[in-house]
Amino acid sequence: MTAVVEVSGLTRTFGSLAAVNDATFRVEQNQIYGLLGRNGAGKTTLMQLLTGQQFASAGSIRVFGENPVENAAVLQSTCFIKESQKYPDDFQPRHVFKSAAWFFPNWDADFAAQLAIEFRVPLKRKMKKLSRGQVSAVGVIVGLASRAPLTFFDEPYLGLDAVARQLFYDRLLEDFAEHPRSIILSTHLIDEVSNLLEHVLVIDEGRIIIDAPADDLRGSATNVVGSATAVDAFVGSRPVLHRDGIGGLASVTIGALTPTERAAARTAGLELSPVSLQQLIIRTTTEKETEQSA
Amino acid sequence: MDESRPIFLQIAEQIEGDIISGVLAEETQVPSTNEFAAFFRINPATAGKGVNLLVDEGILYKKRGIGMFVAEGARARLVAKRRDQFTSQYVRPLLEEAAKLGISSAQVADLIRKEEAE
Amino acid sequence: MSAVATRSHNRVLSVVKLHFTNPWTTITFPWIVMLTIIALTVLVWMLVLANIPDPADRAGAREGFGYSGSSGFIFVYMIVVAVQSINTMFPFAQGYGVTRRNFALGTAAYFVILSVFYSVGLTILSIIEDATGGWGVGGSLFSVAYFGETPAQRLFVFFAILILFFFAGSAIAAVYVRWKGIGITTFFIAFGFLLVGAGALATLVEGWDEIGAWFAAAGLLGSFAWSFVISALAAIGGYAVLRRATPKN
Repeated sequence: MTAVVEVSGLTRTFGSLAAVNDATFRVEQNQIYGLLGRNGAGKTTLMQLLTGQQFASAGSIRVFGENPVENAAVLQSTCFIKESQKYPDDFQPRHVFKSAAWFFPNWDADFAAQLAIEFRVPLKRKMKKLSRGQVSAVGVIVGLASRAPLTFFDEPYLGLDAVARQLFYDRLLEDFAEHPRSIILSTHLIDEVSNLLEHVLVIDEGRIIIDAPADDLRGSATNVVGSATAVDAFVGSRPVLHRDGIGGLASVTIGALTPTERAAARTAGLELSPVSLQQLIIRTTTEKETEQSA
Repeated sequence: MDESRPIFLQIAEQIEGDIISGVLAEETQVPSTNEFAAFFRINPATAGKGVNLLVDEGILYKKRGIGMFVAEGARARLVAKRRDQFTSQYVRPLLEEAAKLGISSAQVADLIRKEEAE
Repeated sequence: MSAVATRSHNRVLSVVKLHFTNPWTTITFPWIVMLTIIALTVLVWMLVLANIPDPADRAGAREGFGYSGSSGFIFVYMIVVAVQSINTMFPFAQGYGVTRRNFALGTAAYFVILSVFYSVGLTILSIIEDATGGWGVGGSLFSVAYFGETPAQRLFVFFAILILFFFAGSAIAAVYVRWKGIGITTFFIAFGFLLVGAGALATLVEGWDEIGAWFAAAGLLGSFAWSFVISALAAIGGYAVLRRATPKN
């Protein structure tokens, strides 16, 4: 498979803080990637590095085979939509869509117009008079209609209500199916997007801690719940991702179990429950023990 | 969509279920990968994986230029597969639960007969 | 693998078009304001004259009208345009994947176009002013000695002033975009020291006369020609600052 992005040892420091720390990964062509992580984990900085808006302190970046910094040929095939985009004073949505056409060679004006209707964006009102949801919608529409071969969405839908977000996901999937492109979606609303993702990158405190196909992650962890003694006996020396407990009850998150192991757990009177992608990521990015005694 | 198992497996099972129940008849066309993706709100590649799984198992086949179709004899094969799994998936858990509650297997058989009569 | 899209675009031209996307702020609005200022100023003059019954006194009043500084509005407004073009348009253009180099080139072209447009407009207004004998009331908004004697000279002077304000204004805005508040404060403190220092030096060596003589020798046009040097330095300096500017969230 061809990689549209190849990153090696990428680091960006601000003083003593490493916003991105020794990141190495590839982004394969025409897949939807999730860039997941907590607030401040480094998602935005990473995307800014990939689009040449930030400068690396160390390491290498290759987008479409070249360094993206000040590289017009590479950048015109990318589109970076971020949450808090500021628009020029007095710009109206129609100005945004009109000018977008000059910078995105694959811009589809009809698609943008149709999306503006669906997201209820008034074309002739000043951006500064629009609600937060409408401003976010404009960003999302630009990202979708740009049809840029590599499109980044940096949590641009935080301002959208649940209905608008679902509309975004639906249109994204639809358009991706008809016109495949490489998409990187950063979010901390993991459960909402988990079914859209083909590949998952998790970044925590600047480091890439998970880089795996979404399907591999699904079902890679199990919750074992029951009396603390029975749980501990069953878990044994297996690596524990997370432990929760109250009184004599314990809930432990461990890796995947074979059908035989599952049967054994049930026989021991333990309950097994699935771990969603969001829970998995939360549990890998925060090591906390919460034990409350009765 | 179940959180704990790969989605493409669940897609495949969904299609299998539709074939067994007769919603998707043999030699009829199944929805395209993109249609599945849009309907279930999942990534098209994932939907494609599920479909391809069934193609590999001979349940579906591709008519070039037209789309995916249900293979002849697919239903029979799926039913046979499900029958093989019936014991481990349904009978054993039933007996385990009954044992937990102190219900003997004879009593379980009685319950089954009573249920059927209604 | 090449992902360069099939349509080729002149990116610099796109940046110029981007600046002109909403012409209200940069063209329509300033002209409306300026014409209003002219109208109001002339109106005030006319009212003053109308209230003087004696024709002999009127002539004296006309002489006193002299020069109204309200024509400076355009120059000041263009500083605002220059600042906005960097402050808001630069981050927006970055979102569109424009390189800093193409943005600088496109914005410089935009400044030149606006300068030509406005200097021609102001020159035409000065010609009308001359032709109507100071808008019929002997006032002068544009036909002042400081701006030159002939329309050609005025065109040159207006252009030089506008270019200077555009590039100096945008250079300062670039300092802000790169280093934010700290940058601006540092810049102005340093600049202040420079000015005071230069002034002190001039006083020390009693060079003010020489400075005055230099300007006299250079003449009006010569002095303004030198302003292009400052504008060029501002342009280069502004680009150097912008080249390493990164988004500040």
